[in-house]
Amino acid sequence: MKQIVIGAAMVAATVTGATAQEVTLGRFFGACEDAGTDTTTSVGEACIIQSIINAASEQIDGVTVNTLPTDWGNYYDQIKAAYAGGTPPDIHVLHRSALAEFAGLGALADLTDDLEAAGIDPNDWADAARDAVTVDGRIMAVPMDFHANLWHVNMDLMEQAGLVDDNGEPILPTSPEELLQQAQMVHDATGQDYLAADFAQFPIGVRLVLSLMWQQGENIFTEDGTATIDTEAARNAITAITQLFDAGLANPQLNYADSQQAFLNGEAAILVNGTWVVDLYDSEAADPDVALSNYYVADFPTLFDEGATWADSHMWAIPASVQRDDPETYQAALQVLAFINDHNIDWARTGHMSVRNSVLSSDAYAALPHRSEYAGTAEIARDTPPSERYGAIQDVLNREFQAIWLTDKPIGDALGDAELDVQDLLDR
Amino acid sequence: MLTRGYYWLVTALAIPAFLWLVPTIWMVSLSFQPNEVLARTTSSTALGLVPVPFTFENYTALFSFGQTPLWFLNSVIVALGMTLGVLAVSTTAGYALARLDFRFKTPVMILCLIGLMVPEQAVFIPLYTMFADLGWHNSYHALILPRMAVPIGVFLMMQFFRAIPQDIEEAARLDGVGWLQIFRYVMLPLARPAMMTLAILTFLYAWNDYLWPLVSAQQREFFTITLGLASIQSNFAQSEGLGRVMASGVIASLPVVILFLIFQRYVVQAMTAGGSKG
Amino acid sequence: MTSINKRRNHLSEAQAAWVLLLPFLAVYGAFLVYPFFRGIWISLHDWNLLAVAFNPDAREFVGVRNYERIMWGRNIEWAALAHPTLQILGIAGVGISVFLRWTNRASRATAIALGLASVLLFVLPGFHPGEGGRWYDRRFWPTVGNTITFVGLTVPGVTISALVLAAALNRETRAMSVLRTLFFLSQVLSVTVVTLIWQIMFSPRQGLIANLTELFGGSPIVWLTDESFAMAAIVITTIWWSLGIAMILFLAGLQDISKDLYEAGALDNATGLRAFWHITLPNLKRTVTVVVVLQIILHFQVFGQSHLMTNGGPNDTTQVLVRYIYQTAFRDSELGRASAMAVFLFVIMGSFSILQFILGREDD
Repeated sequence: MKQIVIGAAMVAATVTGATAQEVTLGRFFGACEDAGTDTTTSVGEACIIQSIINAASEQIDGVTVNTLPTDWGNYYDQIKAAYAGGTPPDIHVLHRSALAEFAGLGALADLTDDLEAAGIDPNDWADAARDAVTVDGRIMAVPMDFHANLWHVNMDLMEQAGLVDDNGEPILPTSPEELLQQAQMVHDATGQDYLAADFAQFPIGVRLVLSLMWQQGENIFTEDGTATIDTEAARNAITAITQLFDAGLANPQLNYADSQQAFLNGEAAILVNGTWVVDLYDSEAADPDVALSNYYVADFPTLFDEGATWADSHMWAIPASVQRDDPETYQAALQVLAFINDHNIDWARTGHMSVRNSVLSSDAYAALPHRSEYAGTAEIARDTPPSERYGAIQDVLNREFQAIWLTDKPIGDALGDAELDVQDLLDR
Repeated sequence: MLTRGYYWLVTALAIPAFLWLVPTIWMVSLSFQPNEVLARTTSSTALGLVPVPFTFENYTALFSFGQTPLWFLNSVIVALGMTLGVLAVSTTAGYALARLDFRFKTPVMILCLIGLMVPEQAVFIPLYTMFADLGWHNSYHALILPRMAVPIGVFLMMQFFRAIPQDIEEAARLDGVGWLQIFRYVMLPLARPAMMTLAILTFLYAWNDYLWPLVSAQQREFFTITLGLASIQSNFAQSEGLGRVMASGVIASLPVVILFLIFQRYVVQAMTAGGSKG
Repeated sequence: MTSINKRRNHLSEAQAAWVLLLPFLAVYGAFLVYPFFRGIWISLHDWNLLAVAFNPDAREFVGVRNYERIMWGRNIEWAALAHPTLQILGIAGVGISVFLRWTNRASRATAIALGLASVLLFVLPGFHPGEGGRWYDRRFWPTVGNTITFVGLTVPGVTISALVLAAALNRETRAMSVLRTLFFLSQVLSVTVVTLIWQIMFSPRQGLIANLTELFGGSPIVWLTDESFAMAAIVITTIWWSLGIAMILFLAGLQDISKDLYEAGALDNATGLRAFWHITLPNLKRTVTVVVVLQIILHFQVFGQSHLMTNGGPNDTTQVLVRYIYQTAFRDSELGRASAMAVFLFVIMGSFSILQFILGREDD
């Protein structure tokens, strides 16, 4: 029964023959079931990555890839459960921020000596990308992108508010005071919100505050493990945002889907969200039924002393157990990684920044929509110091920051509590 | 006799009953609307309760590419397996505890009684590590076995068997019939209503269980429909559109609803019988 | 039927009993008793999910430290009025149970149960961090509180509406049976379908409720991310979902009430609401108790609604115990700590089960 069922369901993906080496692949990014194998036309993270995977399955001789997409919210829980259960997928995606935890446990295969043979050239990776996947001098994963927070701009609303310069670029704030001022201008001219973001669910609001802290040269904890959250810099960063809520120029209660919808509906001039939606919004803006029609992407503006925006990196890893116990699957998995590495330009179409010098300098990359508008982002990309408790720390911040803007918890109390909790996590 | 008051009552109850149904109607209606439209508005016609504009696209897509049919089948296998398993161990143990005499009966009974107090959530972590050590995760038996250990069914069956008059059994004993035969040929047929109740309760539980499949099934082939749906709904922005997600919800629900509509008379009767005997 | 008349070497009664018991005892021992004790054992260790999976020696015996770390803190003090509302309620509860027992309106067991609960209500909220002190885990007790709030809102909601509906629908006519079906229907949906529907229902942008509000010119409530509405939202969802079983159980209880009682009541002019109050309710007491305790046990284990609809937010207002256990185990990899919380959950559940047992015996 089981055989029939699985066979029937997988028939579309696994017809290459009985001898094919099956490689299981775990990822988030959402599901795209009808992605096809054309890597050059798919739109959106889910469909682009799935089309690359489908193409790998079709084009690599003797290898079939079985994708196990998981939802974002449960991804790391499930991947941990899979590792602990001894059944991790043969390849899986992870963030740079999660690499410390997995590599620290010895969960991941050391790929350093096998990359060249598999046709992956680590020297073509940008320095920052190579650093991101390197733990104690060894390469533990194949990087796929850099992603960062951007300001997605509705130029029509900005135009009405007089916030477009002679070059046709949006005029963005350079200080918290200007932020409030310009937000008010947009509101007065259009009646719409200035800024929208997911302040209520996923930690996009956290990333916003972190960026503003980094812009003042501060971080939430030091490399040696001391939490530094109850600080003047954090207060400044948070006030810069809450002043918009207090003035009714932004709505803290929108979650990811709602904030995105607000932006597409022309109800907010700015959406703070990642690089991963550039092509999606670009295609939405081309749709005459969508209110957003004049779409622009901008680097996260500098409101304080130095430029900084939250950034992370997606990368692909192979479990140590596969390398150790199952050489055939390991070789097949490396081939799939090489295929993904070769299609870095397709993945960059999402809006993510490429990790390969050869792609970064290519005309095709430069020609991607809006690419020139956020060329400065790579320079200002930042993240918190590596920690095995990254997820839990983000969760603490998300909770306390939400308490500030959703439940009116005094900023001092929230930052004090957050500092204690994060210190707790760092000490564990 | 049906009085005027009765008709008023029916009318008065019809309104909340309709409201009760509205969320379900809405899900069905959304599943028949194009995703491009839903991305902009969910209230095209009559607050979205009527699927205009109409499309079958979501369903055709679901069946051409989706894993929903597979997940659905997994759910059926797991729910049926669990139901049969629970019935088997509960009827036998329930009968033994209700009608047979043996040493250590009281300690066994107390041991089972204590088990009633242990919620699934209190043991799912050790169960997880146990199944991990055994390499059992991502299998049907991993999804089925833990629930078979829950003693509620044993007590349900025990209470039922206790209520059966002694003389039926005694007559058979006098004919020299063995205990196992009495159980098989006399008691089991009598127990059908109670078994039906237990089967339905177990099936519903199995169908709805979320926590254990969430930690035990990490591979898509072993997702149940409950788990599969969770995996596509958590971020609508990243999913393939509201209409498609809603269509999956409808597909996931339709068979259970149909099953219930067919058996509902029996469900209520069985529960009523079980309630009065218990 | 001929086969059963054959005389064979039959098993003795005790042998037959063990043969019949064996399958259940085997699964019971392997998948409930053993894991239960193993859970307690894990809770006494510093046990990292992944580290132990890669190296079984990576666990460390720490005694009751996990319990201390979740339930206790630095400089915890006790004061009689640290949390006045709850504690005064507790004192009142003690008074009421003494009064009820004294006036013989409640049995001894009921009075003890109520009194004990009241004492706990007085004692537990009295603990608070003193000068410079703090809870080691700031989230644990609020999470327990949220779970109790959820139960405290859902159980009366389900019980009262199910009781009223059952009383109204308790007639064997075609129309009534159709109505019963409609109300029961949502019960068969799985938790993910239910949360799927209600997440969209509550959405301020795409939701039916928002669409309706906007039609009347109001501005939509942001249900799932507003501190004052998020808990209400998951309670409404749960009531909608789980009303059916309670209603069926009440209907079963109603069937048991003899028609004669109503006929006798009708002679005394007790019809309609009066009959419900004076005949139906008193005779349904036992069923109500069963339904309430079953619901408490069921809803204390809430997970999916919080996990899928609100992610425990905003600001942890809908974070519930099982979700905290799940997160601690599988996101933070701290199996020891999570197991300690699971043992705590068991103690709470166990207390309610014992209460149910006591109350159930009392009526016999």
